[in-house]
Amino acid sequence: MPPSTPILTLSHVSKNYGIVTALRDVNLEVYPGDFIALFGPNGAGKTTLLKIVASLVPPTRGELVFHVPQPGKVRQLIGYVSHQSLVYNEMTAVENLVFYGKLYGLTDLQHTVEGLLEKIGLWEARHQLVRGFSRGMKQRLTLARALLHRPEILLLDEPYTGLDQHASRLLTHMLRDLRDEHKTILLITHNLSEGLELSNRVIIQNRGEFVFEATRASLARENFENLYFEVIER
Amino acid sequence: MRSLKLIWILAEKDLRLEYRSRQAFLTTFFFALLILVVFQFAFDPGSTALREAAPGVLWTALLFPGVIQLNRSFQLEKEEGTLHGILLSPVERSLLFSGKFLANWVFLVAIDLLIVVAFVIFFNFSFEAKLAWILLLILLASAGFSAVGTLFAAMVSGIRTREVLLPILLFPIIVPTILAAVNGTQEVLLRHQPQFLVRWIQLLSAFDIIFLAVAFIVFDYVLDE
Repeated sequence: MPPSTPILTLSHVSKNYGIVTALRDVNLEVYPGDFIALFGPNGAGKTTLLKIVASLVPPTRGELVFHVPQPGKVRQLIGYVSHQSLVYNEMTAVENLVFYGKLYGLTDLQHTVEGLLEKIGLWEARHQLVRGFSRGMKQRLTLARALLHRPEILLLDEPYTGLDQHASRLLTHMLRDLRDEHKTILLITHNLSEGLELSNRVIIQNRGEFVFEATRASLARENFENLYFEVIER
Repeated sequence: MRSLKLIWILAEKDLRLEYRSRQAFLTTFFFALLILVVFQFAFDPGSTALREAAPGVLWTALLFPGVIQLNRSFQLEKEEGTLHGILLSPVERSLLFSGKFLANWVFLVAIDLLIVVAFVIFFNFSFEAKLAWILLLILLASAGFSAVGTLFAAMVSGIRTREVLLPILLFPIIVPTILAAVNGTQEVLLRHQPQFLVRWIQLLSAFDIIFLAVAFIVFDYVLDE
C-alpha cells in the first residue's frame, strides 16, 4: 500500500515544441519512496517529462504540484542526472562538488564531499581534472553531484548509458541503497532487466503518452520484454 | 549577504575556468592586437588623421573583440549541460546573471588594460595624468557592454548561429555606450575640455544603470527553453 499523500502530482501535463508534441496529457502521482522505472523508445518524451518535473522546462498545459511543506524550496528536494554530465571539464572532481555544494548552501561541505568521493570510488582521482576522466568516472561524479544535497527525489535519465560492467554494477548498488533509504526515484532506462529489478512501479511511454502502467509486483520478469514490445508496437 | 557570496562563487568559477583554458583571453587579445596593427598601417605615423581617429580605433579594439568572451561565457555552460546544473540549484537566475556579468566585466577590464598598453606603444600616445580618466571610461563602458552582452549571450546560447547573431543584436543596442566612450576619450586625448568629459561620463553611467537594471529583470525569462 502506498502512502496516502503523493509527494508529486502531474495533472494533464502536455508539452509542445513548436508543432511537435513531446508530451500529451500525462497524469501521474508519485508517492514518497516510489521507485518508478520509465521505459520507452527514443523520442517518446521521457526526457521532457523529467525536465518538467525538475522544473527546467515549463509545461505547455497542465499542472505540476509538489506536496511538500515548503513548496518554495522544491529545488533542494530534487537531484537530477541527465544525458550530459553537468560537471565542468576544466575543474577537478573536488572543485566541481564544492562549487555545487556552495550553490546549495551546504554546511560541512568538506566532510560531505570527501564522504561522497569515497563512496563513489573517486577518492584517488579527486584532484584530477574531469577532462581526463573516463566515461564511467564522469558518470559517477555526475551521480555524486546529484546526491550532494541529499535530495528526496532523484530523477535519473539513462544513467547506465556508456558505462562498463563494473561501473554499471556500482551504479546498481548505489540505486539499491537509495531505494532502501526510501528515496523517491524516477529512472529512465533502456535496460529493461535493471529497471525492472530496482523498481516498484513500471511505466511505458510512447509518442508522448503513458501507454502502460503497473506495479512491479504484478509483472512477471520473464514475460516483460515481450509485453514491452507488444505495447510499443500497438 | 548570501546573494553577494553566490554572485562571487559564480563569477570566480568562470574566471578560474578562463584562467585554466585561456581560450577567450588569447583569441580576444590577438584579435584586438590585429585591429591596432591594421589601423597602424592605414594611417601615416604622427599624422593629424591618426590622432583624430585614435579614440575610435582604441574603442574598436577594446569592445569588438569582447564578443568572443561573451559568446564563450555561455557556450562553456552548454558543453556539458552545466547551465542546467546551476538552474537546478536554489540560485535565483538574476544571481546567475550577476555572476556572469561580473566575470565578463572583470575579464574585459583586464584585457582592456593590456590593449591600452599596446595602443600606447603602437600609436605613440602618452596618457600620463590622463590615465585615470581613461581607466574610468574603460570601467564604465565595459560595464554597459558586459551587461547587455551577458543578456544577449544567454539569449542566443541555444542557437546554432550564435556567433553571428550576438554582434548583430548587441552593437546597435550599445551605440550610446560606444558614442559616449569615444567622445569621452576624444576629450581626454585631444580636446581637453573637462566639462564635456564629465557629461560623457554621466551619460555612460546613466546607460550602465539602465542596461544593468533591464538585463537583471529580463534575464529570468531568457533562459526558458
